Amino acid sequence: MGILSWIIFLPMAVACVLLVLPVGAKATRNGAFGVSLVIFALAFYVHEHFVPSAQMQFYEQYDWIKSYGITYRVGVDGFSLIVLMLIATLLPSAYLLLWHNERSKSYWISMLFIQSGISGTLFSLDLFLFYFFWEAMLLPVFMIIGLFGSGNRVFSTLKITVYTIMGSLFMFVSILYLGVSHYYEFGIWSFALSDLVRISSLTQVQEMFLFAGFMIAFAIKIPLFPFHSWLLETYSTSPTGGVFLLSSIMAKLGVYALVRFTMPLFPDLFVAYARFFIGLGIFGLIYFGIAAIVQDNIKKMLAYSSASHLGLITAGVFSLNMQGLTGSAFLIVAHAIATGGLFLLVGVMQRHLGIRPLSALGGIAKRAPWFSVYFAIMLFCTVGIPGTNGFVAELLIVLGIFHYNPYLGVLAALTVLVAASYMFWVFQKAILVQSGNDVSHMRDLSLHEIVGLFPLAFLIVAMGVYPDFFLAKITPTLHYYLDTILHVGANA
Amino acid sequence: MSIVLAWIVLLPLCSFVLLGAMYLFSITQRRIEQRYFTFVALFSPAVVFVLGLAALRELMLRGHALHYRAYVWLHVGDYRIDMGFLGDKLSLFMVFFITLVSGLIHLYATSYMNKDEGYGKFFAYFHLFTACMLLLVLADGPLMLFIGWEGVGLCSYLLIGFYYQNNANVVAGNKAFIVNRVGDLGFLIGLAMLFFYGQSHDFSYETLALHIGAVPSEILTGIAVALFVGAMGKSAQIPLYVWLPDAMAGPTPVSALIHAATMVTAGVYMVARFHFLYDLVPHVGIFIAYIGALSAFFAALIATKQSDIKKILAYSTMSQLGYMFVSVGLGAYDSALFHVFTHAFFKALLFMGAGAVIVALHHEQDIFKMGEMRRVMPVTYATMLIATLAISGIPPFAGFFSKDEILSVAFGSGHYELWLIGTVTAVLSSYYMFRLFFVVFEGTHASHSEVHDVDWVMKAPLIVLAVGATFAGFLGLPELFGGKHLIGEWLASWRREAFHLSHVVEEILIALNVVAALLGIAIAYRKFRFYDRRVAYKPEGIVYRKFYVDELYDVLFVQSIQRLSRFIAETMDKKLVDRVVMGMSRGFVAAGTRIAWVQNASVRLYAFIMIAGIGAASCYLLAVLR
Repeated sequence: MGILSWIIFLPMAVACVLLVLPVGAKATRNGAFGVSLVIFALAFYVHEHFVPSAQMQFYEQYDWIKSYGITYRVGVDGFSLIVLMLIATLLPSAYLLLWHNERSKSYWISMLFIQSGISGTLFSLDLFLFYFFWEAMLLPVFMIIGLFGSGNRVFSTLKITVYTIMGSLFMFVSILYLGVSHYYEFGIWSFALSDLVRISSLTQVQEMFLFAGFMIAFAIKIPLFPFHSWLLETYSTSPTGGVFLLSSIMAKLGVYALVRFTMPLFPDLFVAYARFFIGLGIFGLIYFGIAAIVQDNIKKMLAYSSASHLGLITAGVFSLNMQGLTGSAFLIVAHAIATGGLFLLVGVMQRHLGIRPLSALGGIAKRAPWFSVYFAIMLFCTVGIPGTNGFVAELLIVLGIFHYNPYLGVLAALTVLVAASYMFWVFQKAILVQSGNDVSHMRDLSLHEIVGLFPLAFLIVAMGVYPDFFLAKITPTLHYYLDTILHVGANA
Repeated sequence: MSIVLAWIVLLPLCSFVLLGAMYLFSITQRRIEQRYFTFVALFSPAVVFVLGLAALRELMLRGHALHYRAYVWLHVGDYRIDMGFLGDKLSLFMVFFITLVSGLIHLYATSYMNKDEGYGKFFAYFHLFTACMLLLVLADGPLMLFIGWEGVGLCSYLLIGFYYQNNANVVAGNKAFIVNRVGDLGFLIGLAMLFFYGQSHDFSYETLALHIGAVPSEILTGIAVALFVGAMGKSAQIPLYVWLPDAMAGPTPVSALIHAATMVTAGVYMVARFHFLYDLVPHVGIFIAYIGALSAFFAALIATKQSDIKKILAYSTMSQLGYMFVSVGLGAYDSALFHVFTHAFFKALLFMGAGAVIVALHHEQDIFKMGEMRRVMPVTYATMLIATLAISGIPPFAGFFSKDEILSVAFGSGHYELWLIGTVTAVLSSYYMFRLFFVVFEGTHASHSEVHDVDWVMKAPLIVLAVGATFAGFLGLPELFGGKHLIGEWLASWRREAFHLSHVVEEILIALNVVAALLGIAIAYRKFRFYDRRVAYKPEGIVYRKFYVDELYDVLFVQSIQRLSRFIAETMDKKLVDRVVMGMSRGFVAAGTRIAWVQNASVRLYAFIMIAGIGAASCYLLAVLR
């Protein structure tokens, strides 16, 4: 069993053991945290031994359902590596922030299952396997929202479940169709990505439908306009851990899967519809950004903010050049850290003060300096202040889209205004200004919360000051995408 | 030796981190005494000033620009952008006066902020600002400049809202940031165009200047205008000036350093830095000059009716910046920089003097509640008089030479209307400045009690700056007076063309300037020298209300965006998108499933997956829910 399989199955195995053993919530939590540290160590090992090239590395392959050619095959390239490092860094931090939040054993068990699901989704190179993990990672999330959420949690669980399962269904149909086509064309069953990309018997119309099937599933997960209406209810009713996972990891996996699968499977359509998706992304950037301005619920505001940035990430992916792709990879990381950090901080605030509208907050900076400093760093990253990785990412995406089309580039540049128009307002209202609301229950971050957020803040600044250091391992992969898969040339 | 350039930026950055850590430790763990903060706060600017001089010396010895590349910042596709520093005559000239004025303001602030709860935080932000400002001027390409450019904007935001518990301060900070960001949007578009058309792979000024000639002229026009939009925001020119008066909510040393002497001049510096671009598009230059002239006049007009001492100075800053843009617009970058230089001295002095008065009067900022301060604060009185004379353009004080030079550029280049606007503005300037001066320091029947003079830590920087405000002009003595124009020689490459005026014309222009200044002073003298405080002063009218521009912007931009936001969130999303998507998906699924069942060859496979999935799910549910 290779190292990637360890990363996938270790959390699941530990979860099963802990489930059987008569241990309490605390022991389970400590176990989950320990596992996340081990995973980080493994991920770091993978990162160190990854040779900067476009090759799939740490490749493993086993038969799964032989009669239908379904295999278990996993591997990493530069793009999955950066997402792996992101997840491996984020989870231990998140656990430290959630330390006192949830006192239930099943919460932490679910977290472990989710971690397995995420890694599986990330490494899968067989579409069937991918679909399996894609669905498997969602189930515990639904559980967390349904069991530990607040407000109208049953309805919102139902809504996100129906929404995403519907989306996945379209994708599933497309996957099966591809498998069947492969069988008709080559006479054997296979669902491996490397086999399915060779299919050439599809008509243009068929390709269109299959492409749409994948895109709908990913558009819901990301979410792209107009598939976002599950977002608000889910984010505002989820417990902190759930919303953290959805916003900073699962949404990014949507973009990741878009690049991993739709790009090689439908390169021509990917190029042909680039303009449409850039437009859709930029529209989302502005639309969600404007909607965020009047939200009085901080989680709803962050939900819109998150959707707004994901629009920009998607637009960058479709800009079909190195600047845009690199920028999107950077923004995936930057946004995951910043939005994740903000949601975790809001979770801390809600633990002390209960769930409150923005208008009932204020004067927190005075009581909680560490909290406010971290909040400010995450905010600066979201707004794209120079010296943070958010700046590098937004700059590159804007340049990339500008290369694709100067007019769209000018629209994308509006990003420098969008986030600033609501983030500073929230900072002012919720954190800074003394408003007369009673916030005497607010406590500053505890030591392990300070420690937990430190890696995130450090990465924000380090990637902003010396971005090139973080690009060495991903650049060959992105070149490969542009040169060999899309045939547009890396320096177009 | 060029590495010294990197240290000039790095040192304040390190002291920022140190001060910030000390401050956080101090408020959360154990109190650190103020003197330790003071030590770091003064040590770093002093060393940076010396480093700046060392770099200057090195430049003179070598005779060509210093260049230092620290590391590869970003290498993407064809582009390889370095974290590089350029120490040429322009940037080291800027470093010289920035570090000098900034050092004095740091010293002054140790007294001004004395015993303030946020003492450490204040200096941490100040040092971050210094680092960003120095990066801005020392950067060897527009991208690094942009990092400093946005960085100083961030510090400006943090320092305007320094007393963050008061809503008005934070609102002012937000306004400053967002208006500046509108400018930055323009700047960013300009950058993207430069990237795209500039054919420079390392994106440094050097290679950009080399290839700029190959860019089509309409593109050049676009780039020049877009970059200038950034300057409009940073340097508070029409129409993006609205943040500057509100920015006065910050502590007074902030107004002196950031909103008068250094940051707001970044726009002028940027245009001068891009002279190789602006030289090719003189019609954009004319546009810039007109924006500058209008801003100068408009701000001066508003200043004549204001009553808050810092707001008067803020409008005066905007007005003086307008003069500088007239000059850069007409290609006389050196004259503009000369004015940047002299302005840094007298405007910092004006703000610091005003700060001393404000402290003496327990944070009173309404000039009509001051009066007769001459008797209490003789040093402040004398230094403020020098600064007021300097800004009014009375010879031989510093402002006279630089302002005269700009007006003669306007006249000499044949833009008589610009010259006329400038001269009328000069009358207004000396009027509103002496109005302020007479009301605050002279007048009769002041009613305030318990006034105390400020200590020598605050007064000493005033005196040093007063020396500067008196003599800085001699560095740019016009040929007419038989002097050597040292700054003109130093910055000789920063002038598009020379304008030759006959000595007679030059003498007439100088005479007119002095007459204009004296005229303003005379009117102010008549109206305000013996101003009686018992007569209540109620300014009103459209000028006092600043032509209702703030209200107009509020309706046009703030309220309309909020309305749109509410419409999107409440109507579009809830009532339209959600319903349509839910309905559509229902239809699609119905259709999609049917097709899938027909087309899929293996029904058994599907059934297997479903059963397996449901089985796994139920096991999981049972386990978790038990």
